Amino acid sequence: MMDTLSSSLKDALKKLAGKAVVDRAAVDELVKNLQRALLSADVNVKLVMELSKAIRTRSLDEELPKNTNVREHVLRIVYQELVRLVYATADVKLEPQVILMAGLQGSGKTTTTAKIARYFQKKGMKVGVICADTFRPGAYDQLSTLCAKINVPCFGDPKATDARKIVKEGLAATKDLEVIIVDTQGRHALEPDLIQEIIDLNVITKANHRWLVIDAALGQQASEQAKRFHEAIGIDGVIITKMDGTAKGGGALSAVAETKSGIVFIGAGETIENLERFDANGFISRLLGMGDLQALMEKAQEAQMGGEMDMEAMMKGHFTLRDMYKQLEALNKMGPLKQIMNMLPIGNMQLPEGVYDVTSTKMVRYRILMDSMTPKELDDPGLINSSRMQRIARGAGGTPEEVRELLKYYKMMHKTLKGLKGMGSGGKFNMQRLMKRFSGMQ
Amino acid sequence: MFSGLKERLQAVRNRLGGSIGAVAEAAPPAPAEQAAPSTPATPQKSPTLADKVKILIIDRELVVSAKDIAEALDELEMTLLESDVALPVTDAIIANVRTSLVGKHRKIGESVDALVVGALKSALLNVLGKGFDLPAYIRAHERPVKILFTGVNGTGKTTTVAKIGAYLKKQGFSVVIGAGDTFRAGAIEQIGVHAERLGIKIIEHQTGADPSAVLFDTVQYAVSHKTDVVLADTAGRFHTKANLMSQLDKIRRVMKPDLIVYVDEAVAGNDAVVRAAEFDRTVGADAIVLTKVDMDSRGGAAISIAHTIGKPLLFLGTGQEYEDIIPFDPDAVVEELLGCGA
Repeated sequence: MMDTLSSSLKDALKKLAGKAVVDRAAVDELVKNLQRALLSADVNVKLVMELSKAIRTRSLDEELPKNTNVREHVLRIVYQELVRLVYATADVKLEPQVILMAGLQGSGKTTTTAKIARYFQKKGMKVGVICADTFRPGAYDQLSTLCAKINVPCFGDPKATDARKIVKEGLAATKDLEVIIVDTQGRHALEPDLIQEIIDLNVITKANHRWLVIDAALGQQASEQAKRFHEAIGIDGVIITKMDGTAKGGGALSAVAETKSGIVFIGAGETIENLERFDANGFISRLLGMGDLQALMEKAQEAQMGGEMDMEAMMKGHFTLRDMYKQLEALNKMGPLKQIMNMLPIGNMQLPEGVYDVTSTKMVRYRILMDSMTPKELDDPGLINSSRMQRIARGAGGTPEEVRELLKYYKMMHKTLKGLKGMGSGGKFNMQRLMKRFSGMQ
Repeated sequence: MFSGLKERLQAVRNRLGGSIGAVAEAAPPAPAEQAAPSTPATPQKSPTLADKVKILIIDRELVVSAKDIAEALDELEMTLLESDVALPVTDAIIANVRTSLVGKHRKIGESVDALVVGALKSALLNVLGKGFDLPAYIRAHERPVKILFTGVNGTGKTTTVAKIGAYLKKQGFSVVIGAGDTFRAGAIEQIGVHAERLGIKIIEHQTGADPSAVLFDTVQYAVSHKTDVVLADTAGRFHTKANLMSQLDKIRRVMKPDLIVYVDEAVAGNDAVVRAAEFDRTVGADAIVLTKVDMDSRGGAAISIAHTIGKPLLFLGTGQEYEDIIPFDPDAVVEELLGCGA
């Protein structure tokens, strides 16, 4: 749905392209399309109306700067106004601090708590976690299991009933640590007892940061809830979770507008590593279907520490099994291919599902299979005939079918990247041809 | 419940009524003008014409045109959007109201209000469909009735399973719960505590076990113990994860549920439509439970999801206690939204 919207947005922009002066009708159409796109992304209705008004007035009133065409002029205004919506990115400082997590039921506070713990741990801080959710059964088990995986101490008691008491004890127990994250019970603004509880927890912990966790799918309700939380404890950062679904996170923008704070992190995935720093420009680009280069760069950089992945070569289409091996190695750090593809500036290009349909267990198998190939085979997969296949399979303790499947996957990746190459250089990229090739594959 | 949407719908209703009412007041001069040029043309029949005009003014039926209600419909559109009704669904409802109002003949004496409310009501009822009487379904069905709960992460599946367990137990059915969320840390402990508190039998394996196996065992238990209902909890999963969706499909093949209940939250925005459609397409859905209705929800998600997959709503979850669950009654909801006496 979002894709048709962003393409109609692009069509509307195209109409502005050839114009010498800003055309009122074309601007109106653009604004209307923009409104629909933003409303479908759950951005608050009032925000959308304010925004479209500003864009319309500015587009029509502001003088066209020299050396820019109408399309660029309007697009720049749209972009600036959108960026204004997300305010500044909230700062994450690497210093001793107490962080209080707040949010609605089921927004993903506990998972995010563990992810943030991991984030600070990776940056070399001493981290501890306190479980102040004394209501939901299994909450302590969940948090302590997640923390055990990353060796972060988790303070809590599954039998405790008083969150205030457990937090006091927790603070005493974790006083030697640098970053202390307090996970709390889910609550919503219409539960006065629970709101009072979080006000008390804020006082007890003297929290340096109070972060509100917002589900990417949260709709118009985001604004009201964020307002109440802000009134209670003064939210100074927003975290968007579940960005790996199809939701666009527009509700979080409402939260940002209400709390006058910034978005700190974005959670996109169920494993503990799936947490990104928020980048306003990138988020907006993605909202508009224009790709998010910056976040990709950040990820690629981080991944290079392990796998040395040559994005450059990949984009040029020199893609051998060796590159794929590196990609699989880096996968843990880069996140799944789909996430990476979403961040590339290829707009609303839809890749066939088959490309992504490779589970992590299969990835591990593929790596083992590649380990039993010769360097020549890795550089030139064309060499692999059925007798080589037999040998590789035997070496890896697998079957020739598995090798064939691996080669099939490699070919699919190869063609995908070849397609991207044409796109990157602005050449004659033929989408239909690419799709055709893929449908032949499956 | 749904108070936000209710207030706003009433405002729109007045507005729609107002603009049609305005048409009614503005209308009488029009036939008079029409009458004027025709008078000289047929002077000999002037008394009859005067009568005709009189009849025209008093008994004339008004025809509502698209232009008359355009502004009010725009407002209705905004209202629905602000209430989290997803964009495509909003479009559908507006179209529905428009077609049922435009071209409608209305006598001057007839109440404008009734006309508008009627149109809105039928549009909403159309979308919400019929409710679903679970106890009646279970009574009419061969035991055990196997119910599988699905949905994305964090919508409240586990809590809903516990609540429905408590509800059915109160209705006199015997219940067994299958702890099919073997993925999320703490999930088995969570459902285990609920089951213990409610005195409901639970079948569980270890974390990381195959959920199909757990739920198969649960069904086996129910068969051999002549239990009435199997409630199968599952891990939350996103519709974009192909492997997790095929795992759900496997669960479905293995335990052969009688009902697949899709659980989503009332506060979800436009994405509710996308994911409901995807779940319905891949593993199917027979009924919907909407949770977190107590979060001052505007009720839009109910309308969105029901419209998208055309399946009945089973329950609304309205709080954190076991009894905070109410069977869904579309008539009652629409009555409440539009105010009684419609």
